[in-house]
Amino acid sequence: MEMHSIETRLARLAKAGDRAAFEDLVELYKDRIYHLGYRMLGNRQEAEDIVQETFLRVFRSIDRYDPSMKFSTWIYRIGTNLSIDRLRKRRAKIYSLDAEIGNDSEGSDGYGMLASDDPTPEGQAILSETQQRIREAIDSLPPKYKPVVVLKYLHDMSLQEIGEVLDMPVTTVKTRVHRGRDFLRKKLERDEIL
Amino acid sequence: MNCKDALPLIHEYLDGDLPSAHAVKLQQHLRECTDCASRFRLYEKTEALVRVMDRPETPSNLTASIMSSLPPVSRKRVWTRWVRQHPAIVAAAAFIIVMMSSLLSLWNSGTQLVVRGDDLEGNIIIEGQRVIVPSDSSIDGDLIVENGTVQVDGHVRGNVTVIDGNVAMASTAHVSGNIKQVDQALDWIWFKMNEWFRAALN
Repeated sequence: MEMHSIETRLARLAKAGDRAAFEDLVELYKDRIYHLGYRMLGNRQEAEDIVQETFLRVFRSIDRYDPSMKFSTWIYRIGTNLSIDRLRKRRAKIYSLDAEIGNDSEGSDGYGMLASDDPTPEGQAILSETQQRIREAIDSLPPKYKPVVVLKYLHDMSLQEIGEVLDMPVTTVKTRVHRGRDFLRKKLERDEIL
Repeated sequence: MNCKDALPLIHEYLDGDLPSAHAVKLQQHLRECTDCASRFRLYEKTEALVRVMDRPETPSNLTASIMSSLPPVSRKRVWTRWVRQHPAIVAAAAFIIVMMSSLLSLWNSGTQLVVRGDDLEGNIIIEGQRVIVPSDSSIDGDLIVENGTVQVDGHVRGNVTVIDGNVAMASTAHVSGNIKQVDQALDWIWFKMNEWFRAALN
C-alpha cells in the first residue's frame, strides 16, 4: 500500500513534467519490465527494446494516466501489450516464411527458432540441461498462454491482478493458466525433465 | 469422484482457490487414483521448476539510455504548464490586455471635437475643429479639447490640455496653469487613468 502511494505520487510529479520523478519510476520498474520482456520474447535485445518502448509509451501518455488504477497495473499492461504485439508479428513472419517455402512446420510452434539468437543466455552463466529445457518450454508457449504464465509464475501476480493487466475476466485468466500449466507439463514430460 | 471431475479441481487447488470441502474430496480421490496423483505431482513440479527460473541481469546503463531516449520537453508544453500553474498572473494579464484594447479603441474612434471645461459659457468660440478663446474673455478654470486646435488669445486661469491637436498662443494670451498636448496613445491612456482616478476620489 505504501509502495502504491509512492508510485502514484511519482506519477503525478512526472505528469507535471518532473523528469527526476520519471527517472525514479524508471529505477523502480526497469528490472521488472526487462524481465517481463525477456521471458515474453526470450532474448536480451528484444527485452531491452521492450523496456525502452514501454517507458517511452508511459512518458508520452502519462497525461492520460488514471490514478484510480495502480501504476504497476498500468505499466505492466503497456509492457505486456508491446510484448504480445511482437510475438504476433514474429508469428505472422514465420507463417509467411512457411508459405513461401511451402513447408508446413507441424509439431513445432515455429517462433522458438527466432528467439534463440541469444549467444550467451542468462549472461555468462552456464545453464544446466534442465534450466535450458524449462526456458525453451516457456519460449514455446502459445501467445495466448504466455502472458498469464509469465505474470503468474515469474512476477508473482494474483489471478485478479493478471485480469486487470490483461483487461480480461478472472475466469478467462484461470482457463489460460490451466491450459498453460498443462502445456508446460506436457512439454517437460516429453523432454523427460519431469 | 471420477478423474474427469478431479482434473479441474486439481487446477483450482494449484491456483489456491479450492474450497476446503472440495479439497478433502480431491485428497480422497488422489489417494485412490494413481494416475491423478501422478498428474498432480507433475503439475506441482512444473510450477516449482518454472518459479525458480533465474532472473536475467538488467543491463547496467539501462536507466540512462531510457532517459536519453525520451523526447525533450517541448516549448509549448512548458508554456501551457506555466499558464496552468499561474492562474492569477494569467487572469491579471488578460484583464490588462482587455482594458488596454478597449482604451485604444476609444482613442482610435474619437475624431469628434470634444470641449470640456469649468467656465466655458460665453467665453469660447468654436469654428469647425477650432476652439478660440477670444482676447476679451477669461476662463475661470481648466480647458480640455479633444481632436481639435486651440487658439488662446485671452486668459485661462487653469490648465489647457489638448488631446490629438495643438495649441496656438497669441501674445495677448495668458494661461495660469500648465499647457499640455497629448497625442500619443500611451500618454492619452495615462491621462485617462489619471482622470478616472481623480473622478473616483471625488
